[in-house]
Amino acid sequence: MTKIVTLKASDGSTVQFIDEIKAQGGVKDVMFSPDGGYVVAFFREKADPATRERLLEITGRYREGILNQKGGEYLRNLYCWPTAVVEHENRLGVVVPFYRSCFFFEHGSPNNDMLGIRKKEKVGKWFATPGLRARRLDQRELGDWMRHLKVCLMLARAVRRMHMAGLSHSDLGYNNCLIDPVTGQACLIDLDGLVVPGRHHPTVIGTPGFIAPEVVKTARLPKEDPKRILPSQATDRHALAVLIYTYLLYRHPLDGGKVHDVNDSLRDDELMMGANALFVEHPQDRSNRIKAGNAKAFELPWKDTDRLPYTVTGPYLSKLFQESFVDGLHHPAKRPAAGDWETALVKTVDLLQPCTNPSCEQKWYPFDNKCQPTCPFCGTPHRGKLPVLNLYSSHAKGKFMPDGHRVMVYSGQSLFRWHENRFISPDEKLSADDARRVGYFVEHQGNWYLVNERLNGMRDVRSSQDIPVGGKTLLDEGAQILLSPEHGGRLLVVQMAGS
Amino acid sequence: MSRRLLTYLCIDTSGSMNGEPIVAVNAGLQALLGSLRSNPYALDSVHLSITTFDSEIKEVLPMTAVADVMLPEITCPKSGATLLGAALEHICEQTKRDVRKSTSTEKGDWKPILVILTDGKPTDTLAYTEVIPQLKACNFATIVACAAGPRADPNQLKRLTDHVVSLDTMDAAGFSKFFQWVSETFSKDSQSRGATSSVELPPPPAELNIVL
Repeated sequence: MTKIVTLKASDGSTVQFIDEIKAQGGVKDVMFSPDGGYVVAFFREKADPATRERLLEITGRYREGILNQKGGEYLRNLYCWPTAVVEHENRLGVVVPFYRSCFFFEHGSPNNDMLGIRKKEKVGKWFATPGLRARRLDQRELGDWMRHLKVCLMLARAVRRMHMAGLSHSDLGYNNCLIDPVTGQACLIDLDGLVVPGRHHPTVIGTPGFIAPEVVKTARLPKEDPKRILPSQATDRHALAVLIYTYLLYRHPLDGGKVHDVNDSLRDDELMMGANALFVEHPQDRSNRIKAGNAKAFELPWKDTDRLPYTVTGPYLSKLFQESFVDGLHHPAKRPAAGDWETALVKTVDLLQPCTNPSCEQKWYPFDNKCQPTCPFCGTPHRGKLPVLNLYSSHAKGKFMPDGHRVMVYSGQSLFRWHENRFISPDEKLSADDARRVGYFVEHQGNWYLVNERLNGMRDVRSSQDIPVGGKTLLDEGAQILLSPEHGGRLLVVQMAGS
Repeated sequence: MSRRLLTYLCIDTSGSMNGEPIVAVNAGLQALLGSLRSNPYALDSVHLSITTFDSEIKEVLPMTAVADVMLPEITCPKSGATLLGAALEHICEQTKRDVRKSTSTEKGDWKPILVILTDGKPTDTLAYTEVIPQLKACNFATIVACAAGPRADPNQLKRLTDHVVSLDTMDAAGFSKFFQWVSETFSKDSQSRGATSSVELPPPPAELNIVL
């Protein structure tokens, strides 16, 4: 007979749980509340004052600092943040909201869910392993490449906001972020291990595969040894880069063909992720390339880095992958910050083109800057005209500088406030009104037009004609369209690709 | 080829396992398989093989990836010896056959795992004594032994491994706890690593006793 335990939590609320372990993590046992609205996760180790203080700060000051500020409403969806601390039988626990339903498998695996994973958590590993994607998951669970990009954007945003507050996650990996490739959402979980530099020390070093090389390399030193390197924001940056790479390319950036220790597979892995870590796509050193010849059919093209190099993710992400895995792999200070990933991901969303092949699993791909673009995933060439809008913005009166940001045009693509002015960014602080589209694109008899919905200062520069709300303008080679005359206002310069 | 984690399950089917115990073991195996199948890490790497031993040694499940495993119903004769020594000899042969070793250009498998479940003591004591050094040379990452019920001899198993788990009763609850513990050893590699502790097995459930 299971009993219901009732406790008074640190925030004064009454907390109840069914006294039965429903799930177990590395250091915690998880119990459910009777109404299923939250869970209570108890640390197996006995309560100690340092942990209590850390948990009280995470559920109190840090939680309020992030979730009760501007944008907090939006951020609530990106974190499963513990709300209160409880103590029961000399053990500490945290009260955590139940995960949203989109983070549980709806269809699960094929053949009437033969693996029995329906209603289980969507852990990232499922979606980043070609064999599991191809053979073990119901195809309706897979989402498409645009949703994968959005998942990465949500993760980068969540990490960026946490870093802004001075915190580091210290254990980013497949298990600690739930993702939903069907809707493009993501949520960081297990936030009770957050690290405040100089105050709360990390209790974990991370999850294998996501631990930064300098941490792996020094993991065997005693914790007090000054040479020992523990998780920090710099190691979060490594883990975030690995997550983004695996979610977009379904392979690990360091798990290549090079053998480091013939006799001991554990030692081999330790060297691969630590002292000898080498990017599988290093531009000069090819010694750790994935052996595509050994890959199974369903692992291709993912395991073939010559056929599907990281550069298919587009110029903005490619630059960051280079900085993360070539320049910054063994130089933590050179790793891109979470905010850099967020910006690059937002810009990459604008580079997407729908694939014209209806059976393409990825369905979207970033523009490859070719006159005749081709989907890198399935090899289908683009059909029809393809306008490319290059964004410039005003820096002084009449002086427009390129922003290194392009928008690809396709049916259903929209313009937003963050395209109109370079000072507006699509992040958690954006108001609901500013999140509405301001214009859209339509193809008519083989030509593309931009329709103005909400821009009061839109103007065709070549013909010096205003384009009123409700009006439209032809997108042809060399067209220049001013979206806003204000400071930071954008000018679109059109290039035509495709045929 | 990605690394495989080969797992050998070595299960006592001697006469005394007949009845409720073997039913409970079958249920436990189903639960173990279910838990491995819903774990994406295990699906990607774990392979299972089952060998039973009584007066005969039978490889009832050859090494198979967890997604493809069709569990055989494990049965036992009404009576029979407990040829654990011979069973382990067979396991040694299997590992020589199955485990892919690394070469300078190819990555091999992970070190294999061996799980032994018995409710008695080996009747082929000489063979058992002789196979111990051979088994150690097979380079298992972990050997877990379960001594089930009052007649099991944990001390014999202690000669094989430090991980000996004792079950007081041979009912479904006990076996299911044991198999749950085994399935947790598979998820440890994908879980967070502590900053202070070394890599080790997860703690056993409270209802089991570890023989010291």
